Formats: sequence, structure tokens, C-alpha cells
Amino acid sequence: MSFKRRDVLKAAGAGALAAALPIPLLAQGQTLKFGLAMPMTGSQSAYGKDQVAAAQWAVDDINAKGGVQGRKLEMVVLDTQADPQVGINAVNRLISVEKVPAFVTAWSAVVKAVAPIANREKILELSVGASSPEVAQLGDYVYTTFPLADVDVTAVATYAHDKLGKKNAAVLYINNDTGVDAAKVYKAAFEKAGGKVTVYEAYDPKATDYSGMLLKVRAANPDMVHIHGLITDIPQVLAQMRQLGLQQRVSTYSAGYNPNIVKQLGAAAEGLIVTSLAPGVNDRPQVKEYVERWKQKEGRVPNGLPYTQYLYDAPVMVAQMYDWLLKQKMPATGENMRKALLGVKRFELPMTGVTEVDPSHRVQKPVYLLTVQNGSFVPLATVG
Amino acid sequence: MDSRAAMLDPAVLAQILWTGLATSSYMVLFTIAFALVLKVLKLWNFAQAGMMAIAFYVMYAAVNHFNWPTAAAVALGFAATLAATLAYEVLGLRTLRARRSSSLLFFIFTLVCSEFTAYALTLIFGTEPVPLFPEILSPTRIVGSVAVSNWDLLAVCVTLVLGIALALYLRLSRDGQFLLAVSDSAELAELYGIDAKRAYVVALTIASVFACAGMYLYGSRTAVIPTAPLQLMLFAVIATLLGGMGSVVGAILAAVFLSLLQSYSVLIIPSQWQGLILYVFLFVTILFFPNGIHPGALLRRLGLA
Repeated sequence: MSFKRRDVLKAAGAGALAAALPIPLLAQGQTLKFGLAMPMTGSQSAYGKDQVAAAQWAVDDINAKGGVQGRKLEMVVLDTQADPQVGINAVNRLISVEKVPAFVTAWSAVVKAVAPIANREKILELSVGASSPEVAQLGDYVYTTFPLADVDVTAVATYAHDKLGKKNAAVLYINNDTGVDAAKVYKAAFEKAGGKVTVYEAYDPKATDYSGMLLKVRAANPDMVHIHGLITDIPQVLAQMRQLGLQQRVSTYSAGYNPNIVKQLGAAAEGLIVTSLAPGVNDRPQVKEYVERWKQKEGRVPNGLPYTQYLYDAPVMVAQMYDWLLKQKMPATGENMRKALLGVKRFELPMTGVTEVDPSHRVQKPVYLLTVQNGSFVPLATVG
Repeated sequence: MDSRAAMLDPAVLAQILWTGLATSSYMVLFTIAFALVLKVLKLWNFAQAGMMAIAFYVMYAAVNHFNWPTAAAVALGFAATLAATLAYEVLGLRTLRARRSSSLLFFIFTLVCSEFTAYALTLIFGTEPVPLFPEILSPTRIVGSVAVSNWDLLAVCVTLVLGIALALYLRLSRDGQFLLAVSDSAELAELYGIDAKRAYVVALTIASVFACAGMYLYGSRTAVIPTAPLQLMLFAVIATLLGGMGSVVGAILAAVFLSLLQSYSVLIIPSQWQGLILYVFLFVTILFFPNGIHPGALLRRLGLA
């Protein structure tokens, strides 16, 4: 057998090209990988585990229908504990060991902490649930599929002033990334609407006694109280508020849309206003089926239902991006996943409807306001 | 009246005092448990956090998984805590004493026990924060101008009853006298025929009662995760350092003082700074009062007690 010089050069060229590709072009039979970094343990795990379950259902559903052009979607899940340092470790592993071209994560502190890695490594980071407005400014490779706090917090602040006729408000917020940014947004929106924020007070994330702060509220006697904390502290703040005799109507954000709050507070939860950034069971038949599926499989509604809807939709978005890449015959790199995100631009999603990726790294969605009435969350208004 | 002036209203000040006292209750109970063990066993017992976690999760399981009545759940919680504490003393501490291990090794052992318990409970119960009872809201009444909840009353009463019972026990009972003798000098006490091992067991048993009662109060007010007791312990350590190591009364006074100081601090500083006060006191105490402030002695010196 003899080799011609031209054949040898061709083979060498092909080998060099193959070696130059960081991830070879989506070879037949190869799974289409992406990462999911969420809190599976720690104080936020009640949310995190349900969100991971929702994402896994979506992956299973996509694969059951034949995957993406016949290829299976594969989700690699790692724990962040909602802790920035643990999140950094998880994302480093997703990128360097699992070689994913894109990953999904949540919780503002984690999303911010891992953003420099995504930008440096040119790996697409999809923030699904972090609400800090700063998420929109974290770099070229960080996009959110979830409306940021300025969307729902602005809606609830404006609604309190314009529709409920509240003229002054107290804003109580947890002293971390989740609370600080959102509290600023609420204050700005409420004052822009013509109201006045008379108490603006942060509390320590480790606090269990909020009476001092609440006595300031009692002294100022506002019409409305907005609490922007985590699911672990919102019920306690509200309980201690009622115990001190404060009867003002309370609003919070999507974290408050949790049946455990009503269970823990009983009658004290009546009138609580929460936001949801995803359609409810009456707004979309797919959501009704999804909630029924939860009831059948887990015997309950998921913690933070709207968040889980977005997490269900995240793998669907990734699948649509992979579909775009396959059609373009492009290798699965982070840079190309970003191109795919902007190339698809308009995603049809089963649980949250249409999502358009905005060049400003934001998404606009309607805000659904709900209130607790007779121990259940009922629709109050839809804004936007 | 502006809101700053309104905060200085006597009704507000009285409310801060009452709520601060009620909130200090479980901290006082944890501090007594920690200070008593330090006094008698000469041990910085960080394993107390593990005992507190066991107490809470056993009560939680009894109430929520087995639908036991509260009294039975508390009894079971205490029994489990006591069993764990005795196992810790007999299998762990006695072994270290027999080997004449260094104080550092004792200290590390207590930390290891605490972390081990937290990990084990995490595996069993998960990390979702859970309150002891499904509802955390406690009925409230207005007394004068002060809102007083059932939880507040229970917390203050339990702490007072247990505190007085301990004081009477230490002063009037033979075992209590033995505890004090062993705390002065275990070797000397043994020369007089006092069983130091028994005194250690009694001290740890009392600590279990206080840890269990504290976790009952804490858990009926807020949600708990397996690592939460270690954070609570920090307060007990600071109060013990501040109150003077070896002085249970000093530690109690320091715990109440720190709690009230944190509560009243909102009149001057924003709420998020409250937690920092503890560390400022820890810093100042370690640097300038390495043997503690001994509030009792200070009051006596000032002619106030």
C-alpha cells in the first residue's frame, strides 16, 4: 500500500482541524450536554430541588419525543447551596470537566459570582430565577430568561399606589443581593408613582427577631409594607409584625408565592400580595397539566411554582438552541451557543409562553399579582 | 410626631424591653447549659450544638411525622438528647480523660461531635428549614400598651422556672453542692469522696434539659436547619466569655444584657448592624477583659448588689 504526498497532507490537515475544534461538531449519537447549577442542599434547597426536578422532567419529555434531531439532551446537575463560593466550584467543574457549552443557574449571588468565569471561558450562562437588576449587566455571556426584579417589584409597587391607593409604604429587606437591589427598585417605583417610603430598613440574614425594625414601622404607621426577603425569613417577619399589632397590607415578590407561607401563618397571611412571573393554571392549559403532574408524582404543588415553570422551560430553550446549531452545522461551543440564543431570539415555551431575548440582556413578561384569600392564593391583577 | 421621636415613646421602649427579654430566653438557656459544663467539666463544649440539633429534630419528628402530643414530643426530645449526651461523655470524654489528652484535643473533639451530628441530621432530615410546629404564629394580647404573645409568656416562664430550679438545686441539694465542689477542684473533691464522674454526668444532664428547652422555644418561633444550633452557640460562647468564665450567673446576666443591647440598638443604628454588636463585644472582651467582665462582681464593686 502506497501513500501519495497529497493524501498525507489531507489527512494531516483533517487531523489538525479536528484537534483545533474545542468540541467536535455534534457527532452522531453524541448527547447534547448542558449544565444546571442549583442549590440541592442548604437553606434554599426546598426551592432548588423542585426546580431541578422540573428541569429534569423537561429533559425527559424532550428525549421521550426523540430528542433534538434524534439526539438526546443530557443535563449535568451540580449543587451550589445558593452559596457563591460553592457555585464557583460547581461552574468550574461544569466547564473544565463536563465541557458544557452552556449552563443554567439561579440565585442572584451565585449568578453574579460565576459570571466572570462564563465571560472568561466564553460559555453561555443562562440565569433562570435570579432577580437582581444587576444580572443584566454581568457581561456578554450572561443572559437571563427570567424577568428581573425591576419588572415584578415595579409592578407591585405601582399597583399598591395606583390601584390600592396606598400613599406611604415601609420597605423591609434582607441585607443581601436579593434584598438590597430589589428594595431600591421598590422605593424608586413607589416614589415615581407619587408615594412616599417612610421606613426603609434592612435586616441581618441571620436575624430571628425583627421586633426592633417592626417597631420602627409601627412608629411610622405606613399604609403598606413591602417585605423583600427569602422564604426562610418572610413568614417570620410577617408573623412578628402581626403579633406586634401591625395590620397593614403586606406585599412581597415571587418568593412569597409558596403554600408553606399560608400554612405557617394561617389567618395572618390573609391579604398578602405576591407576584408571579409565570402564567397560572387558569392562564395556560400546559400549566394545569404540569401542576396535576406534580400532584400525581409528588402529592403536592411545587415550592415556588413559577420558578419551576421557568426551570422546566430552560432545557426547552437549550434544545431549541442546539436545534439551531445543528441546522447551521456549527460546533457546540459557548460562543456558538450564544449565537444560537441570539439567532433563535424568540422562544416558544410550554410553561411561560413566548420569551424574546433582548439585546439589553433582559426579558419582558406580564406580571401576575396574587393575594391570599381564605387560605389560598387567588388572582388579583395582571400587569403588563 | 416624627417616627424618630415616636421610637422614644415609653410604649415603644417598653415593647423593646419585653420582646428583648422574651427573645433572650432561649439564648439564656443555651448560655446556662454551656457555662455550667464549662464550670464543672472545664470543657468548651461545642458538642452542645449537636445535642441541641438532636433535641430539635427528635421533637420535630415526634410532632410532625408521628403526631405525638407536645408534652410527649418534648419528653422524647429530652430522652434522645440525654442518651446522646451520656454516650458522648462515656464513650468520648472519659476516653480522652483516661488518656490525659490536651485541652486542644478535647476542644477539637467537641467540634467534631457537633459537625458529625449536623451532617448525620442533614442526611436524615435534609436541609430545608423546618419549624417545630406547622404554624409559627402565636396568639397575642395587649397588656398596657405592650403586645405580649403566648410564646413570649411561655419563653419567659420556662426560663425563669428552669433558672430558679437550677439555682435551688445547686444551693440546696447534695448533688448540687458536689457539682460546685467538683467545679472548684475535681481532684480535691475526689479526695473528700465526691464522685467527679457522677458530677460530670449530672452537669451534662442539666445541660441537656436546658438545651432541649431552648430548642423547643427557638423551634416553635422559627424554622431550623441542622447547622443552625452552631450559630446559636456562638451567642452562648460570647455571653460566657463576657460574663466571666466559670460564672454561670455572670453568663446569664451577659446573655440578657447582649440580647437587650441588640434590641435597643435599633434606636440608634439600622437593623442590619445588630449582629455586629456581638462581635464587637467579643473583640473587646478578648482583648481587654480576657477573664470576662464578671457582671456580678462589677455590680458589687459599684455598690449596686
